[in-house]
Amino acid sequence: MTAIQTERLTKQYENGRGCRDVSITVQEGEAFGFLGPNGAGKSTFVKMLVGLIFPTEGRASLFGEPVGSIAARRYIGYLPELYRYQEWLTGEEVVRLHARLCGLTRSEAGQRIPRLLDQVGIGLRSRDRVKNYSKGMQQRLGLACALVSDPKILFLDEPSSAMDPIGRSEVRQLLREWKAEGKTIFLNSHLMEDVESICDRVALLNNGEVLQQGRVEDVLRQRPLWRIKVGGFAPSMLDWLREETGLPIRMITAAPDGSAELEAELAHEEQAGWLHALILDLGMTLYESVRTRTRLEEWFVAELTGKSHRGEKE
Amino acid sequence: MSIILRLTWKELLRKRVLLLTILMTLAFLVAFWFIAAAIGGETEANGGSGAALFEKFSMGLFIVGLGFFFGSFVIAFLSIFSSSSVISGEAEQGIMQAMMPRPVPRWQWYAGRWLGYVTFGLAYALILFSSIMVIAGIHAGVPKNFGALVSAYLLFASVVPLLVSVSMLGSGFFSGIGNGVFMTMLYGGGWLGGMIDKVSSQLGSLNEKVGHSLTTISGLLSLAMPADGIQRAMMDRLYNFSYIQDLFNMGANGGPLPLFGIGSAPAPAFLWYALFYTLAAFLLGMWRFQKKDL
Repeated sequence: MTAIQTERLTKQYENGRGCRDVSITVQEGEAFGFLGPNGAGKSTFVKMLVGLIFPTEGRASLFGEPVGSIAARRYIGYLPELYRYQEWLTGEEVVRLHARLCGLTRSEAGQRIPRLLDQVGIGLRSRDRVKNYSKGMQQRLGLACALVSDPKILFLDEPSSAMDPIGRSEVRQLLREWKAEGKTIFLNSHLMEDVESICDRVALLNNGEVLQQGRVEDVLRQRPLWRIKVGGFAPSMLDWLREETGLPIRMITAAPDGSAELEAELAHEEQAGWLHALILDLGMTLYESVRTRTRLEEWFVAELTGKSHRGEKE
Repeated sequence: MSIILRLTWKELLRKRVLLLTILMTLAFLVAFWFIAAAIGGETEANGGSGAALFEKFSMGLFIVGLGFFFGSFVIAFLSIFSSSSVISGEAEQGIMQAMMPRPVPRWQWYAGRWLGYVTFGLAYALILFSSIMVIAGIHAGVPKNFGALVSAYLLFASVVPLLVSVSMLGSGFFSGIGNGVFMTMLYGGGWLGGMIDKVSSQLGSLNEKVGHSLTTISGLLSLAMPADGIQRAMMDRLYNFSYIQDLFNMGANGGPLPLFGIGSAPAPAFLWYALFYTLAAFLLGMWRFQKKDL
């Protein structure tokens, strides 16, 4: 079943920011990564889906219910990018408040909240006032609030941005658990490692428009990289290889003993065979050649290199 | 809605708004007690003649007027500053971003907040009103007519929903600080309108044209913010000024006490206008919040 569907969803602000014509479909139980540089419009898009801001054009629904409707909001748990909670309440009171707003009975909330607070790592600190929490603790509290209604869809906007490496690792593990439970996860994050390890599909947003979207393995397969370790290397040989093949080949490392590591982006295996033959023809020794898996971060950088993005402006 | 109402009360309690208000009110009431005792003692010393009776009445009026002069400010600023950043402030801080995606209609959130601030203000207004009347009653004569007292309390307290409605409406447009400044200026404008009315009614030497201009300015300011007009209507109900003015041949300004007099008593239509103003501000604020991007 389709959990999230948007059709040309648009929010245009007077200053030109926002996002335009964003159409995505996320199936139930899927983890979807929403990527983009700062200021790309990711948070604007998520805010439309959770009913915080109103689209200027387009349509969107959650399990068939129009976004912003009460029925749609029953499906969601949301951790905002700018997370702040009533600092005059205790952590437990904040989660209890969210539970009551979601319509949980007192006994349901009583059973679920302590377990949830333990799960996100707040534990006994739940009795402290929120004003005494660190940013990381508040973010953990936000995760508990997002989950308190046992929602079918989780919208998480940079869910571990304020956490230390241990906290990030814990959140990554929690995301895996929630995904295994069948929750649909919509993840806005700059942490490519998280997105790569958790998400089934990704979309890349730049200047408010979707540049690419697809399954994670498909977008990574678009740039097959080969790492070739050679001996008897000289820089002039690299220039010759580039001229002869017209392929993007770059030197990663070079040692005084003439050994070097090269990286080439090759479309298919025939190109790889041809390149290897040319290397041998040049008199170099071929020590090792490995087809590397592109990391999502490399894909992200490659897709945005040379393109303007408004996060860098102003 | 009841969840939000209780949350608002809890906020006012936990942020110590109530505690500070009670402490400052107690300090005022202690001072007010001694002021009333001094004025009341002076009056009693002057005997029981007809002139003394009038003087006692005047002093009672002065004490009550003084009490409500302070009381109206406290009620106004409590109403304004408790609610001036409720929307913009919470949206800027990020608190609202976590709350609003919950399956609660926005109008319920708005109405719950409004009810929270208004019930808090009404409860405080009742305590303040009763305290002022009790202290004034101990030291001087005050009206004992229950109907007049209830009517006066309702008018005194009606400033709370009025100001909370306008303040919450403003909070949907301006930042917390900006709205606080705007509301203070707006309330000050209404208060100035009342002062112009009181002063111009005392200055008999003003020519007709100037008097007419001042009446127009005063009227416009009172229409822009009817809070002071409601307070004047409250004093009118409490002391039945229109009757007393004829009886004692005193001016509309409160005789020798212009600052605490009422100027010209607002017509009943003005009170209907204030009610409409409150309702319009409340509904506009709710409409604005329903449409607002957070």
